[in-house]
Amino acid sequence: MKKTKHRVVLLSMIILIGGLILLLSPVGVSAHGVDIAAVPVKAVEVIALYDSGQPMVGGQVAIYAPDEPLEPWLTGTCDEEGRFIFRPDYSRPGLWEIQVRLAGHGDLIRFEVTAAEEAVADGPGGLSLLQKIVMALVVAWGAVGTAFYFSRRNS
Amino acid sequence: MERVWKLPAIYLTILLALLLVTGCAAEQVVEEELPVVEEVVETGTLAFTANGEEFIREGFVCKDGWELSFDHAYVTLTSISAFQTDPPFETEMGWEFEDLVQVRIDLAGVHTVDLAAPDADPAVVGEAASVPVGRYNAIYWEMVRASDGPSEGFVVLLVGTAEKDGETINFSLGLDREVSYLGGEYVGDERKGILQAGGSADVEMTFHFDHLFGDFDEDPGDEINLEALGFGPLAALAVDGALEVSLSDLETKLAEGDYALLLAVMTHLAHVGEGHALAAFME
Repeated sequence: MKKTKHRVVLLSMIILIGGLILLLSPVGVSAHGVDIAAVPVKAVEVIALYDSGQPMVGGQVAIYAPDEPLEPWLTGTCDEEGRFIFRPDYSRPGLWEIQVRLAGHGDLIRFEVTAAEEAVADGPGGLSLLQKIVMALVVAWGAVGTAFYFSRRNS
Repeated sequence: MERVWKLPAIYLTILLALLLVTGCAAEQVVEEELPVVEEVVETGTLAFTANGEEFIREGFVCKDGWELSFDHAYVTLTSISAFQTDPPFETEMGWEFEDLVQVRIDLAGVHTVDLAAPDADPAVVGEAASVPVGRYNAIYWEMVRASDGPSEGFVVLLVGTAEKDGETINFSLGLDREVSYLGGEYVGDERKGILQAGGSADVEMTFHFDHLFGDFDEDPGDEINLEALGFGPLAALAVDGALEVSLSDLETKLAEGDYALLLAVMTHLAHVGEGHALAAFME
């Protein structure tokens, strides 16, 4: 009976510690090699055209974040179709500005990043489903193990 | 109570106690009175500038090969106002934007500036001190006939020399139709109109004279050349190497299509940096 009690307590501790390690570790990290992930992200596509409809090939793009309007947050160049794709920093909500210029022609447009988009981009709380399940199991097993321990000691 | 339930009971009691404590603390925060803060308006200096860019200061070769240089490029400006609007003004919004205006700064008076002057990079039209900080993202101005001075009677007076294939023409071209313009935030290689506390910023009225004459360096089929008059139609009117002409004269002297081009140019001559401005003839 005493051996069983110790096994239950030992098993509880192993599961508890293992669960904590799993909880605290980043998702998808491996010890060796290369870790490549392809994750769909919410990006902004700029399409720059002249009034005539011709693409602004090589248009100079400057992106300004809402909290730093004097310095470009990102610069780049439009492709052969006048396109430029970027992912804004969703942790900086507000009115972002996109300026495209080429050979004396240019324009400035704006788009809004909201706090809600920031929450979606970062995920709710950062815990995966597996981590949540393990966390629930650990808590449950800890309670059961503790109950076993005291009930056996009484008897 | 059996001992097996003691530990869960202790956990539950601690949890309830924690909930009570945090709940009360949160309620206290809500009930606290906010301190009264007096609003302090921070200010800076806002300059109103006009710019004819390098085309007018250094000269250029226009779409039909005439090499143009300018001694003077007078423009006369009045009713100049800079605005902070929310949301930021864009020309697609049209002329009716008063409801968006948060701050308006007016520059009084009628101002004639020479955009061809070497130091007109840009030319300072006037300044307004101790104006509220923020982003001046719209500007309105009127280009009117000068009532006196070297460009009297004209809204724009260009004085210079045109050369091509050994021929030289000294020209004086006066435009006399008054136009009002409304533009948005400055578009260019630097930011303008962003005024910070104790600092200075400028809002610019930019004039693109390559829209009038075209640009030899651009493709003949480029929009800038297709919509420009060039200098050729004016050169044809010169007598003994001299041309002194006004827009009113040109209505009868130019071909109908060329005159229509010239009128249209007056509505897209002005920009804010590289950003287009709305334009309307005032008469």
